[in-house]
Amino acid sequence: MALPKRIIKETERLVADPAPGITAVPHDDNLRYFDVTIQGPDGSPFQQGIFKLELFLPEEYPMAPPKVRFLTKIYHPNIDKLGRICLDILKDKWSPALQIRTVLLSVQALLSAPNPDDPLATDVAKHYKENEKDAQRVSREWTQLYASE
Amino acid sequence: MAKVPRNFRLLEELEKGEKGIGDGSCSYGLEDSDDIMMTNWNGTIIGPGHTVHENRIYSLKITCGDNYPDAPPTIQFISRVNVPFVSQTDGTVDRAKLPVLAQWTRASSLEHVLVEMRKEMASATNRKLPQPPEGSMF
Repeated sequence: MALPKRIIKETERLVADPAPGITAVPHDDNLRYFDVTIQGPDGSPFQQGIFKLELFLPEEYPMAPPKVRFLTKIYHPNIDKLGRICLDILKDKWSPALQIRTVLLSVQALLSAPNPDDPLATDVAKHYKENEKDAQRVSREWTQLYASE
Repeated sequence: MAKVPRNFRLLEELEKGEKGIGDGSCSYGLEDSDDIMMTNWNGTIIGPGHTVHENRIYSLKITCGDNYPDAPPTIQFISRVNVPFVSQTDGTVDRAKLPVLAQWTRASSLEHVLVEMRKEMASATNRKLPQPPEGSMF
């Protein structure tokens, strides 16, 4: 089962030259399946958190987007209770020009810029819209509870 | 072919189950909607028509372990039902007596297991077996 050259290249670069605050390590027994960590961006309620995610490159990759999910609980309007992420480039805005690296940077950016108008976790989005300060307080609490080492 | 890891496979199955499968005679979903490891599931089977099971609603628990889908799920009926593959002591399904579990492959799915159990209920040998009172539990 040969791994496409593109995936090998991307993996090499992810390991040799990782994006700041992001790690992605393939599983030994499945080179399309990555253990990922993302540091919560400074200035966001997720600051100082280390969030675990998993990423899988389906057979159709790069014609289809990677599948990405949070494994660490997170209070964010675009991430649901099962860690699923609402992000356009993971769905209809995917382009084969994007890469694992750009996807993970976009997920990191989503932590800095929650979008309560396109929610996945509707109760969290409601909280963010009605009382952003208080919602951010909960996000910080969850970061401390679930995402600190 | 790319080998879909457990968690992404279960997410696919969850989404399929949420949309509703087949004619609605079998269904399944997560027991706890924030179970991030997606281990514990509930299933229901509506007894097949023209059998002793007709119109009965059978509830069961499905457990997907760490090795799913390389290993089959374990299944335990909550509702009492008298069929050879279900233990009459505690409702657990005997893997060896149900071909879909005995000959499990990664191509099988939770839907597949439920549909096959329903078919078994309608088989010539099982369709007329005497049944415990409707609605009784293990």
